[in-house]
Amino acid sequence: MIDDASVIELIHAHMPDARVEVADWSSFGTRDHLNVTVVSSAFSGKTRLDQHRMVYAALGEALKDGRIHAVQIKTSELE
Amino acid sequence: MSQNLQEEIQNEITATKIVVYGKGTKDAPRCGFTMETIEFFNKFGYPFEVIDVLENMEKREALSSMTNWPTLPKVFIGGKFYGDTDILGPMEESGELKDVLAGAFGSEPKATINLR
Repeated sequence: MIDDASVIELIHAHMPDARVEVADWSSFGTRDHLNVTVVSSAFSGKTRLDQHRMVYAALGEALKDGRIHAVQIKTSELE
Repeated sequence: MSQNLQEEIQNEITATKIVVYGKGTKDAPRCGFTMETIEFFNKFGYPFEVIDVLENMEKREALSSMTNWPTLPKVFIGGKFYGDTDILGPMEESGELKDVLAGAFGSEPKATINLR
């Protein structure tokens, strides 16, 4: 279980300018299956794989301790 | 990471053109993402293999450190790592995936009849 603010905080620690959207798609309201959309200038020039690696690195702690069980990631560079 | 584990993985990802490391098997997937990845590749008509690593923590850690990617499923095409459907979906939309698959198989997919 993790709330949106904590997810955003974890990502902002790595990508301070990121615009972050979090949606919970856990079936039983456990709030541990999340859709996370991140828009940041930090992604420019990076492959999509590396962009997702950056998000996984930011969420690493919450993935390890189980607050997040599964996450679907969407990334895009700043428009 | 033990040498023979690395070799085992290397053999697996070169022996089969599309390899999905996941939780469960093709006929009995045990995680939503693994099932989604199976359904994703079923659309293309190319043969692919699902390797169940659910209970094999040592191999899962080897795969994670080898790819710098913490989660399952993990997809390899032509021996190269492509993440999961979060990566393959946008690649499909941009048409990039069709080229990667044709490149790996060297041909368009032969019509395969899905008996399910």
